[in-house]
Amino acid sequence: MNAFRPGRHLALAALALWSVLPLAVLVLVSASGGWRFPSLLGAEPGPASWLHLWRSGDRLLGALGMSVALALSTGAVAAVCGLLLGRALSGLRGWARAVGAGSAFLPVAAPPLALGVGLQYTFLLWGMGGTFHGVLLAHLIPALGYTALFFLGVFAAFDGEIEEEARRLGAGRAQTLLRITFPLLRRPLAEAFLLGFLVSWAQVPLTLLVGQGRVRTLTVEVLAWIEAGQDPLAAAGALSLALPPLFLVAVVALAVRRAEVVTP
Amino acid sequence: MAGALAAALLAAPVLVGVGYATLGALGLVGPGSREGEASLSRFAGVLGDPAVWEGTVWTLWVAGASTLLATLGAALVAVRFRGKGWVARAGRGLAFLPLPVPHLAAGVGAVLVLGQSGLLARMAYHLGWIHVPADMPALVFDPAGIGFILALTWKELPFLALVAVSVLETRGTALEETALGLGASRVSTLFRITWPVLWRGMLPAAVAVFTFVAGSYEAAVLLAPSHPLALPLLTWERYTDVGLARRGDAYVLALLGLAVAVLAVMVHEWLRARHDGGASP
Repeated sequence: MNAFRPGRHLALAALALWSVLPLAVLVLVSASGGWRFPSLLGAEPGPASWLHLWRSGDRLLGALGMSVALALSTGAVAAVCGLLLGRALSGLRGWARAVGAGSAFLPVAAPPLALGVGLQYTFLLWGMGGTFHGVLLAHLIPALGYTALFFLGVFAAFDGEIEEEARRLGAGRAQTLLRITFPLLRRPLAEAFLLGFLVSWAQVPLTLLVGQGRVRTLTVEVLAWIEAGQDPLAAAGALSLALPPLFLVAVVALAVRRAEVVTP
Repeated sequence: MAGALAAALLAAPVLVGVGYATLGALGLVGPGSREGEASLSRFAGVLGDPAVWEGTVWTLWVAGASTLLATLGAALVAVRFRGKGWVARAGRGLAFLPLPVPHLAAGVGAVLVLGQSGLLARMAYHLGWIHVPADMPALVFDPAGIGFILALTWKELPFLALVAVSVLETRGTALEETALGLGASRVSTLFRITWPVLWRGMLPAAVAVFTFVAGSYEAAVLLAPSHPLALPLLTWERYTDVGLARRGDAYVLALLGLAVAVLAVMVHEWLRARHDGGASP
């Protein structure tokens, strides 16, 4: 259809301004060397804030490493377990299916702060407060909700005949899962991994409540820089928070497109 | 059996959290609790506090306004940038761009653009419209939540645009072509086919965005005013209060936050049932 498109180029320019402006300002301020009013470009434009961040050494690298480790682990576990949970839920029918979908929606709809307030004691009781494993488990709660719902949708349109065929030919359950189901669902698995990664990467309240200040992710550090009122540092920190997921989304999108070109 | 186990596994952490928060709200566990002595005094104290209701109404206003703006923007993107040309592809790409950006980074960007000494204020200064930052209308930490609403709209529009584009691709085109083939005008097709298809398809995602925004802590901490205090900030403030007795109030507020989320889901189900009922012959 070619209807309803007057001024598309103007709309495109407005959309570009809307989408790019907040990110462009982060670049501008992070490279301003001090952003005092009314200067537009800052006192000494240059990489000072980035060098300052880099010189903070262990603290920044530690936070970055912690965020990457948590997000990669959450993405991987949420993708595989989400597939298994979504598959199991897709076998439900009638009211049981509605209850199943509702159960997956619960951790997605529950505000992470409210969830963290309710769960903090349980994590402490299990000795997982302030530990990497505790925070990973906390991040997995909403992430699994998202990926289970995602795979519930995937399996609604999935033809299970090929799995039946493999089973008839003598493949075991695990073999069918590893050699048939997983390869067939490479694209949804990559997308679910991305979903889990993003949920963990951006998580703040669950990290603060379960991590108890001992698990310091990039979000926790950026929050501290913002509260300290250091605009260039906060902008550099916010950019270092925004760039990895943007890069990862681009990589996954490219990989998926290539897979689509190769796969008939 | 496997399905029931999966459902139980997914719901269990939330139910444990709700269970503990309920016991905490009744004063049976947590800071300031009285062993074995259940009481509704915390509920009465928190729910009788006008600041709690002001904060709740403000949170619902911000969540509703940003969800509405993001939904309209997403529908506009889906309609304007359809097809395979470079403009359409570029439009969709630009609309999806903020999708993976964390709320915290979006909040920092919003403060630097909209704050009283932000980019807009500096541009207004150079254009001679203002002389000092205080001349700039407050768009951040403002009681109306303008900056907060704009930042959340920026952050949530991509997800809704993704849904809107997919809805039009899968359900819209054939119906529109049929309507046009039967002699309907383009404007009539837009209002009687495209928009209803989009609205129904986007409703679950819009409700998900509303519940997410209403519970969002990290954007609120950067952009929301200190009065009225947004519900997530109020919960955090009470939970980290130096007075142990007040910490218990956070359990009631957490339950209130969860109730808002459950209510939104119920409204969604009601709307869906109404639409489905109306759609059937």
